[in-house]
Amino acid sequence: MTEGVVTLKSFFEDARAGHLTGIRCTQCHGLALPPKEFCPTCQWRQWEPVPLKGSGIVTSFTVIRIPPRGRVPEAPYAVAVVRLDEGVSLLGRVVDIPLEALQTGLAVKFRPVVANDQTIIGFGPA
Amino acid sequence: MRRVAVIGVGITKFGKHDRTSTELFAEAAADAIADAEIAPRDVQALYYGNVTGGPAERQLHMGPLAATSLGLPTIPTTRFEAACATSHAAFRHAVMEIASGVSDVVLVGGAERILNVPTDAATEYFAYCSDASYEQSLGLTFPGVFALIARAHMDRYGTTEEQMAHVAVKNHRHGVLNPKAQFQKEISLETVLRSPYVADPLKLYDCCPFTDGGAAIVLAGEEVARKRGRAIWVLATAAAADTMFLHEKRDLWRVAATERAALGAYRQAGKTPAEVDVVELHDCFTIAEIVATEGLGFFEPGLGGIAAEKGWTSVGGKIPVNPSGGLKAKGHPIGATGAAQIGEIVTHLRGEAGARQVDGAGIGLIHTLGGNTATVLVSLLGRD
Repeated sequence: MTEGVVTLKSFFEDARAGHLTGIRCTQCHGLALPPKEFCPTCQWRQWEPVPLKGSGIVTSFTVIRIPPRGRVPEAPYAVAVVRLDEGVSLLGRVVDIPLEALQTGLAVKFRPVVANDQTIIGFGPA
Repeated sequence: MRRVAVIGVGITKFGKHDRTSTELFAEAAADAIADAEIAPRDVQALYYGNVTGGPAERQLHMGPLAATSLGLPTIPTTRFEAACATSHAAFRHAVMEIASGVSDVVLVGGAERILNVPTDAATEYFAYCSDASYEQSLGLTFPGVFALIARAHMDRYGTTEEQMAHVAVKNHRHGVLNPKAQFQKEISLETVLRSPYVADPLKLYDCCPFTDGGAAIVLAGEEVARKRGRAIWVLATAAAADTMFLHEKRDLWRVAATERAALGAYRQAGKTPAEVDVVELHDCFTIAEIVATEGLGFFEPGLGGIAAEKGWTSVGGKIPVNPSGGLKAKGHPIGATGAAQIGEIVTHLRGEAGARQVDGAGIGLIHTLGGNTATVLVSLLGRD
């Protein structure tokens, strides 16, 4: 049941290499992001990895001006909710887009951001 | 299942304290036991809530510590953590312990101490209530989470920053009359609107403060409660959940778990939103109050901002929301918040709320939201 499983670790390793990998339910074909055992829609327990193109539009965003500990030098920075072309959404740090140019509906493209050896999801200009 | 009632309430002053969270809880609990007019030895179990004690106080195993600090070291305890809904979740389980007949008298509540650490550390610890991989990793804060919701609500319904500011002004006005509140000070619309952005579009005065404090409730089964004239009955207590991941929320401008918990609570009690006289709801951010007044069925989706602007949610308005001052002015010691909200509603239903009393309140609703809208509790209380 677990062959082809996408873990959080493998998802972020793929992301670091520039690829987004979702999971698709082999029964109802619902698309999701890991981790999932059961499909939330049909309760099936078999998924297959599916490459995502990484392009989408901003559906909401914020500019963090009071950051948590350790992030102070990075502030202000923007975090956006992006609906990917395939239909799933993903949150990411906005990079290479001026804060004042951000708006909902803006087309963006995934890019990995690696800082302190941690990979995070980034979105830059489409 | 037998009926359950609140027979005692205790709440510490909210603000900054030089005491541990379990000390704060013990004070609130001793007040609740005195208020209940029972002997301390009558308490058969403790359901205790705390969220950030691990990182902020280097303290786990807090249930027995709270009971020990109270002077009741041998009662069985369980510690709850459900982000900001912690002690309301504990309340629901305590109600079930009594309803099922396992115990007759149970103590429930919680406490938080967070003002002993710097703001950036507190911001980090609170962010632990969002997902580590997808959300914390981005530097997303809790003001940030609700800013994403606010932007979606503004885009969807035309809700404005000024409407959100009205929530803050109203809750501060209510808080003036609450001696336990962290802020007993009115603020103007201009003060809110001119305050700096924390996470656009949310400004400093759209956000509740960091707070130390404790709150406790004594619950009893019908046989014990009947002997007390001030018993307030639990008409319903419902929990609902939604996906933990913000990226999986279907509509960011709604809180699906609030809608489901409310539906469950109204069904359990056989009541409708129109029958509710007073509400304590989870205004961790001004937008959260607006979305909650819609999700709880008091206003149509999209009208929450207008309701705030028109004063419909003020004491004296259509539906009085947060007469305590809410999380915004009363303060938000996250582990204590649910129990403190319940305590406020009990005080109104008893007619003991003094200057802030909602006159003639017979049915009260409590709504508590945990984390990134993944956990919601809604309870309804009523007089006999």
